[in-house]
Amino acid sequence: MKKALIIQQDVIILKIIEKLMQLNSYDCKAIRSISDLNIEDQTRNFDIIISEILFDGIAPLDFVYQIQEIILHKSLIIVTNMGQERIRHEIMNTNKVSGFFAVPFDLDRIQKLIA
Amino acid sequence: MFTTVLFYIIKFLFFILMGTWITIGVSLMYRSRRKRHLNKIEIVFAEITSRYLYPLPGQPFDLVRANRSFRDLGIHPGKPKNVQYLIDLMIRTQRSLLGKNYEKLELLYKQIPPYRVSQKKLLSKKWHIKARGLREIYEMDQKQYIKQVIREINHENIYVRREAQIGMVVFLGWESFRFIPYLKWDMTLWQQIKIVEKLHDLYPIANLKYLRKAYNIEKPYARELIMRIIRKFELVEEIDYIIRYIDSPNFDTRETAIYCISSFQLSEKQLIRLKYKFMNIVNSEQQVQLLKYIDRISPKVDIPFYKLLLYSGNDIIKLCSAEILWGHKCIDEVEEFYYHQYSVQQQPA
Repeated sequence: MKKALIIQQDVIILKIIEKLMQLNSYDCKAIRSISDLNIEDQTRNFDIIISEILFDGIAPLDFVYQIQEIILHKSLIIVTNMGQERIRHEIMNTNKVSGFFAVPFDLDRIQKLIA
Repeated sequence: MFTTVLFYIIKFLFFILMGTWITIGVSLMYRSRRKRHLNKIEIVFAEITSRYLYPLPGQPFDLVRANRSFRDLGIHPGKPKNVQYLIDLMIRTQRSLLGKNYEKLELLYKQIPPYRVSQKKLLSKKWHIKARGLREIYEMDQKQYIKQVIREINHENIYVRREAQIGMVVFLGWESFRFIPYLKWDMTLWQQIKIVEKLHDLYPIANLKYLRKAYNIEKPYARELIMRIIRKFELVEEIDYIIRYIDSPNFDTRETAIYCISSFQLSEKQLIRLKYKFMNIVNSEQQVQLLKYIDRISPKVDIPFYKLLLYSGNDIIKLCSAEILWGHKCIDEVEEFYYHQYSVQQQPA
């Protein structure tokens, strides 16, 4: 079974994405904050991470770089409330994310990426 | 005597202090319990919504069970604060999603409480309650109340009519332009921006049929709104509409036209028309803005145009034209003008 990690502060979005992933045969770990990550997560090698970029004490771009280093994964998708074009460009230019979705977004497009 | 009075004062202050502590304690306990309860509502709502949108195999969505869960959490007319919290969650969710799920949520919201609560708010005489009711109705896309929404588009209170007008856009999309000529009040900048954003989020494919019909509307705010839409939807084929108002006598219309045109590249023909219109603008700051834009999009520097401005414009335009020419290494033209000034000054002496 493929493994997915979802990090979203908004519990409603978190649950919806979690169900979407489960429906697409993913084994999901859904958490609301990066402080909920534990030491085992570093070695789990997730197939996909769907994450917010707004967290206390870390800039969005730094977060993208850090998660790249800390947690093993194949692809990273950003789902965020912070949809400014500048941030989108900066993050997409890092070539470390497979998709960037700002609220409001269409989950069908995310589904295409994870299928 | 003095000691007795002092004793009573201390006793009195002690009771006040105790009262304050007890109030703080009760308030903290209430807030903590309330927060826990609201979190519970949020988690249950999240669970129900996610199960409804993506039901897992063997776990079909059960509406009766969902409604029972809400009732158990105190979502009923007797507890309006809980009901309002659920409405806020519903709006937040609807705002976050687009596409198929947006429509699915619309169906769900018709079946779960708090149905009709928002509609009842429209009957209120208080403007803020009425405006909130309108917002809830359009955010949850409850099209069945469209008649009640249309009724408020000319309400005397700015917030009520603002929400009603946005509601029209949410429900009718591009077709809502039919109502612009019937608006009795001006539309503020913020209102225009909200309408354009809503239209872009919910109806991203432009319907030029309704847009072009609105071109004949004489009201300045309607012109500004149309120009903002042309810019947001990048309707290159409609640029001429913006150029038409570049030299409008109305300051705000001109300002909007200059702001909107600046995100487009123009054809040679449009550029010539723009330069011609430039001469009719009465405000120097706006002229400078436009001049910089013309310079930015021009494939090559139009020396005769800038020379004309050097010799006939006001000082601000002259300076700006000289800067542009200098930036394009047309040093001779600038120097020629520089020495020409002295020769003009010397003549009267």
